[in-house]
Amino acid sequence: MLQLHDLSVEFDEGFQLKHINWQIQQHQHWLITGANGAGKSALAAVLAGYGEILAGSTSRLPTTIGWVSFEAQAQLIQAELKKDDADILDVISLGTCVREIIFTNETDPVIAGELIQKFELEYLLERAFRKLSTGETRKVMLIKALSCHADLLILDEPFDGLDQASHTMLQNHLTHVVKHTPVVMVLNRFDEIPDFISHIAYMEDGQLRHQVNREDTQAFNELYQLLHLKTTHLQVPDSDTDNTRPALNPKEPLVKLSNICIKHTDMVLIENLNWCIQPNQHWQLSGPNGSGKTAILSLITGDHPQCYTNDIFVFGFQRGNGESIWQIKQHIGYVSTALQWEYRVGTSLANVIISGFYDSIGLYSKSTDQQKHIANQWLELLGMQGRGDQPFNKLSYGDQRLLLIARAMVKHPPLLILDEPCLGLDDINRQLVLALIEKVCAAKETSVIYVNHHAQDRIAGIDHYLALEKSADNA
Amino acid sequence: MSNNYFNTLPLREQLEQLAKCRFMHMNEFTEGVEALKGKKMVIIGCGAQGLNQGLNLRDSGLDVSYTLRQSAITEKRQSFKNASENGFTVGTYEELIPSADIVLNLTPDKQHSPVVAAVMPLMKQGACLSYSHGFNIVEEGMKVREDLTVIMVAPKCPGSEVRAEYVRGFGVPTLIAVHEDNDPQGHGLALAKAYAVGTGGHKAGVLMSSFIAEVKSDLMGEQTILCGMLQTGSLLCFDKMIEKGMDAGYASKLIQYGWETITEALKYGGVTNMLDRLSNPAKIKAFDLSEELKVIMRPLYNKHQDDIINGTFSATMMADWANDDVNLLGWRAATGETAFEKTPAGDMEISEQEYFDHGILMVAMVKAGVELAFETMTAAGIIADSAYYESLHETPLIANTIARKKLYEMNATISDTAEYGCYLYNHACLPLLADFMKGMDTDVIGRGLASDDNGVDNARLIEVNAALRDHPVEAIGATLRGHMADMKKIV
Repeated sequence: MLQLHDLSVEFDEGFQLKHINWQIQQHQHWLITGANGAGKSALAAVLAGYGEILAGSTSRLPTTIGWVSFEAQAQLIQAELKKDDADILDVISLGTCVREIIFTNETDPVIAGELIQKFELEYLLERAFRKLSTGETRKVMLIKALSCHADLLILDEPFDGLDQASHTMLQNHLTHVVKHTPVVMVLNRFDEIPDFISHIAYMEDGQLRHQVNREDTQAFNELYQLLHLKTTHLQVPDSDTDNTRPALNPKEPLVKLSNICIKHTDMVLIENLNWCIQPNQHWQLSGPNGSGKTAILSLITGDHPQCYTNDIFVFGFQRGNGESIWQIKQHIGYVSTALQWEYRVGTSLANVIISGFYDSIGLYSKSTDQQKHIANQWLELLGMQGRGDQPFNKLSYGDQRLLLIARAMVKHPPLLILDEPCLGLDDINRQLVLALIEKVCAAKETSVIYVNHHAQDRIAGIDHYLALEKSADNA
Repeated sequence: MSNNYFNTLPLREQLEQLAKCRFMHMNEFTEGVEALKGKKMVIIGCGAQGLNQGLNLRDSGLDVSYTLRQSAITEKRQSFKNASENGFTVGTYEELIPSADIVLNLTPDKQHSPVVAAVMPLMKQGACLSYSHGFNIVEEGMKVREDLTVIMVAPKCPGSEVRAEYVRGFGVPTLIAVHEDNDPQGHGLALAKAYAVGTGGHKAGVLMSSFIAEVKSDLMGEQTILCGMLQTGSLLCFDKMIEKGMDAGYASKLIQYGWETITEALKYGGVTNMLDRLSNPAKIKAFDLSEELKVIMRPLYNKHQDDIINGTFSATMMADWANDDVNLLGWRAATGETAFEKTPAGDMEISEQEYFDHGILMVAMVKAGVELAFETMTAAGIIADSAYYESLHETPLIANTIARKKLYEMNATISDTAEYGCYLYNHACLPLLADFMKGMDTDVIGRGLASDDNGVDNARLIEVNAALRDHPVEAIGATLRGHMADMKKIV
């Protein structure tokens, strides 16, 4: 049916939609969603014939459209104001009354009458349209759109400004309308998504990034989380005020590795490496497979046995002088694919996050009420609120990774080590993870070491780089 | 020639020592590793226990190094590589023992006598000698110099698990003991507790026991239910399925992974839960079979316990040691040649529940073995807590080894005392169960009960359920698992 083929469109404000490929088949009802400024309403407007086509083509755009949106609403009001301006007589124009606005040639008077009743607008019919409140004009728009026998209904944030009763009424009414009219809806909030929506289009930067069939529950949930992260004002949850982590000397480096050598029986993995990480520096560590990235990180975390044979200063400890690894680990948040493999315990989502306070895999201590509260904040941040009791090992790979990142960040560690955090994640989850990391970098409490191969995963805020080469012995 | 220490004690003390076992409270470990801070800990032997305990102790902030025989160092044997590649100082006895505050003997039992004889003269006045198994002291009657403190810290899990649980921030259940004849400064318990903390054991639960209780219960558990029963059951069940024309790959897989799956249920909820995983008719069937098995095998369990208590077992085994392990090695080779061992597991899917439904006889064998071992140990004066750990608690660990490595490798992995005991048990048990096995068919092993009728007699089911739940191993099991749950409930 309706098709947009590699379509690029420009709007008045210079905003562009780029390379849109989209088909709406019969009996599909789409939701367009995305963060603010992503191009949701613009995409809807294209269906209504707006915008200047720069490239690509459209086919079978609808002829009669019922369109409800802020833009359409604004246009109508603008037109009314113009009428007023145009009045050269020295009388106050009352403007067009609501009845005239609603009952035009396109309007089916029976349906319109019904809706007027349902919205309880009878008493406003003779009033001037431009005197109406925002909610009231919205209702008028809805009545017009729903009673014009449209080929396509475009409902851009239709519930905005509606009171609860009208909201419910509209939802009920739509369940009947969708039986004969396709609907494209634009919504910012997933939790308002009506049951009849069958497909979701996710917009970002003027591009149609994801198209998800609602029956694909997993993709649907991921999209939900992504939208949640993108649209919520992300605030990294509180830290545990009862924590007993000793304060670090701000004048000392967090990590100082001197003349590091890592040797195995017959090969030298790392030789004469020096690396100093100061508080509030963010680092990217890169290098080919086998160049020793993970080995170096495990020297810092204390997981590499040769951390006792090297000159390592971490968080105020010169390693090998009677400190325990738990005294080191309390300062570090850590995520890697290997950790995810090891994190195979039958525990709940909330406990996985809380285990970050104890640096344990699984939870072996009684958690405090505050820790539970913080875990819930994180779950909410990840779009998993109310799921705290679900088992971790039943989650999708991407969701597990998100939780482990939350686990790593939960104690607001001075050092956060992210060893290829996006490895194995699909596009949606990768964007989720990157959004989260950027928040942490910006918060300035934590130094980040970020390890990756993918150049496109660069993170805003990282300004120090360490590139390893494959040692000759190891080639 | 060795002199059995246990047999030198009067009955009164024998009974007192056997009954020693107390689950320690978490708040008894508030001192952490303090008693060992700054002390020089030297580990003898760098196998799985030696290496992994050492890694844990070092990560707990303790000073750990390894001492090996000169030949192991010169020839760069595996033990040398284990220690040196992990960044530990390695030296000969002469180099490291004289400065050691605590010497950790983590060599195999068989080497204890010569090793201890070699290091004892080198140890400094007032130092501590630690074991992770009491065999040398109790069965071989090793006399340790009077100024030395002798303790035992025995993690109740394989070395790899000791490390893995520590890294996760937890630990494994651990048994500690002080040899009362060798505690001249009265600080043996403090050292043992700090050692248990250093390996992470205090987080999973520590049993305060005696050298004697540890040896007599450990030997009993490992040779009967743990290794002996699983080995014997594997061979019998496999041969039965082949005899009845079942696919060999399926039979091999059902057994290799079946023990692990059904004992996982045992680990979480005891014998009751393991049986509860079966349908009602299958549960009654398994119960009846296990009752029959218990009658047939009880004399064998009694004999094993008696031989362990009176020292016959260790004397027999040490004779074989002296004879270059002829019996043991012959048997080990024969195990490698059994049909089960030589048949690889098929690649068909077997669901978790299917292992129960098609393995009714295996469930019955585990139940019979666990209950018999527990009953026999407690009848011999070993306290229920100890008997529980040495029977039910450890069965899933061995089952896990079989799942990974089958029987030959299982035997090569377990301790030499366990393997010798397994050999004795298997030899006696196979013929003992021959008649019983004649009556078995694929409804109890391989195919499961016909599913057309799940009806059971109410009265009988109530009886069976009550009998399962009333067994004393279930009561102590619930308590001890509860202790773990204080820390693990949330997991």
